Amino acid sequence: MVEETPILEFSQVALSFGDAEVLKKIDLALEAGKFYTLLGPSGSGKSTILKLISGQLQADSGKIYFEGKVINDVPAEKRRVNTVFQNYSLFPNMNVYDNVAFGPRLKKLPEGEIKEKVKEMLALVKLAGFEKREITELSGGQQQRVAIARALANDPEVLLLDEPLSALDYKLRKDMQQELRNIQKRLGITFVFVTHDQEEALAMSDWIFVMNDGLIQQNGTPEDIYDEPINHFVADFIGETNIVPGIMKEDYLVHFVGKDFENVDAGMRPNEQVEVVLRPEDLDLTDIDNGKLVVTIKDQSFRGDYYEIVAVDDDLNSWQVQATNPATIGARVGLTFDPEDIHIMRYNESEAAFDARLESYDEEEAEAALQAARDDQDGSGGHD
Amino acid sequence: MKKLRTPYLVLMFIILYLPIIYLVVYSFNSGTTMQGFAGFSFKHYNELWEDTRLIDIVFQTGIVALLSSLLATIIGTLGALAIFRVHRRAVKGALLSLNNVLLVSPDVIIGAAFLILFTTLKLSLGFVTVLLAHVAFSIPIVVLMVLPRLQEMNPDLILAAQDLGARPTQVLGQVTIPVITPGIIAGFFMALTYSLDDFAVTFFVTGNGFSTLAVEIYSRARQGVSLEINALSALIFLFSLLIAVGYYFINQLNRRQKAPELREKVK
Repeated sequence: MVEETPILEFSQVALSFGDAEVLKKIDLALEAGKFYTLLGPSGSGKSTILKLISGQLQADSGKIYFEGKVINDVPAEKRRVNTVFQNYSLFPNMNVYDNVAFGPRLKKLPEGEIKEKVKEMLALVKLAGFEKREITELSGGQQQRVAIARALANDPEVLLLDEPLSALDYKLRKDMQQELRNIQKRLGITFVFVTHDQEEALAMSDWIFVMNDGLIQQNGTPEDIYDEPINHFVADFIGETNIVPGIMKEDYLVHFVGKDFENVDAGMRPNEQVEVVLRPEDLDLTDIDNGKLVVTIKDQSFRGDYYEIVAVDDDLNSWQVQATNPATIGARVGLTFDPEDIHIMRYNESEAAFDARLESYDEEEAEAALQAARDDQDGSGGHD
Repeated sequence: MKKLRTPYLVLMFIILYLPIIYLVVYSFNSGTTMQGFAGFSFKHYNELWEDTRLIDIVFQTGIVALLSSLLATIIGTLGALAIFRVHRRAVKGALLSLNNVLLVSPDVIIGAAFLILFTTLKLSLGFVTVLLAHVAFSIPIVVLMVLPRLQEMNPDLILAAQDLGARPTQVLGQVTIPVITPGIIAGFFMALTYSLDDFAVTFFVTGNGFSTLAVEIYSRARQGVSLEINALSALIFLFSLLIAVGYYFINQLNRRQKAPELREKVK
């Protein structure tokens, strides 16, 4: 396979404001035509990356490449990227048409061509016929669409979106997520989307960069990041999660809350201290005899499509469980899960080491082996 | 308290407007003094019409006011933009204080200072010196009106314009200036009123027969007020009234154009 030049690449890019290290030697590479998300809490450095790409900020050290060429010193107005700002930042002194035509006019395109472009872009964001409207006459959602049309009218190679949906209400946000994804697929350009909303990131992206403390914690497909978080931060930030301390006795055998459990992870040192991750939706409540763990129900709340149940085990670890049926508060019940639901995280494992370890064993093989062992057990049980 | 509000407001405005109304009423007096109303007549208005020196002075005052506020608006707006771009808070604060000191310092001191400056420079007193002095004291007013607009402006607008490919001059001309235009217009009109009103500074720096209305009325009043002054004052008052009413209606019209959806909802 021939490696294509990434459309955008960061090599050891660092930036500090005074004593605060905002970015700590970041490396990343983006392929053309994909939907990327930078996900992280505020202050994690995700917006800083966007501003370095757009040219609003300059890196202290390291190199930024655009289509293989260093662009550290190229001014913002000459870069072939455009930004959709968080607060829309439409020009209040212009109507919708003039806002969208702003970029093409600066390029001195003929007015007829500009007119076509504006019409096309407004149709793309489903605002056909809104040319003459004043910005003050538009709702928040419509302003958002104009901002997207305005950025796209400049024919960018890369579109940067800085938390563009955070000011919209839930329903509108859902619709816009879908639409942005459709627009990206239709135009085939690269989108770099910044958000602190993990649900949004999982729903829209081809590839996610999870950021914290000026570092990329983990990058991968939404499935990778959800199913195989690299560390406590990522596991906790992406979705609801239960994390308990454990010991990896040997490959495919972990010990936590006083018991040994079969699982599908490997490659650690024998008896290494680890963290055990179990997602609330993978846990089921059952009777005490069938439970792998015994817990006491502490609290529950109704969430519409499920009940959010909080239970405590005998080691006083708290467990979040998503169940379709309600439980009785104070009751002692069993908690059950499958070996493949268990995900093991090592302390301070680098992303490279994590990826290498995942490559070193075949999870599916382990699962198949487990299944065979289980069948075997059931079979022998039948003969007795 | 509520009961007292209306009588209080009525009384307040009567006291404020009584001297002006008194002056206007006597401009129609057929007698020559303000002691007793002898009968209704337009004769002081006729006198005013024939007093070419006074009419010249009205025009001179207008020209000085328009020119000085125009120049002050340009210089002051650029000044406000420069202060806005200062990043160090201490420097910005110091510049703003220097600006505000000029606003609050007594006109007499500013007038005297300019007189000394102009005589040192051997400029002959007249139109040019009055104009320069008016420009100078109007600049801080314009800065004060424009700067808040810049501070209120969404700073991302500038970034957005750059992002779309605008060079710094294009950002300034196509985004920043249009957005702060209301502040610039307000600054211009404030400067205009200050210039039209000014007596003290002009009194110091005028000469060689050049005069403005305030100075002229003062020098005539010393020889006993002629009712011609009343007539002129009445006309100026009428003019101000028309401007205020006009401003009100233009504002109403703007508001209605700005929010048609809102209006429909109210319906």
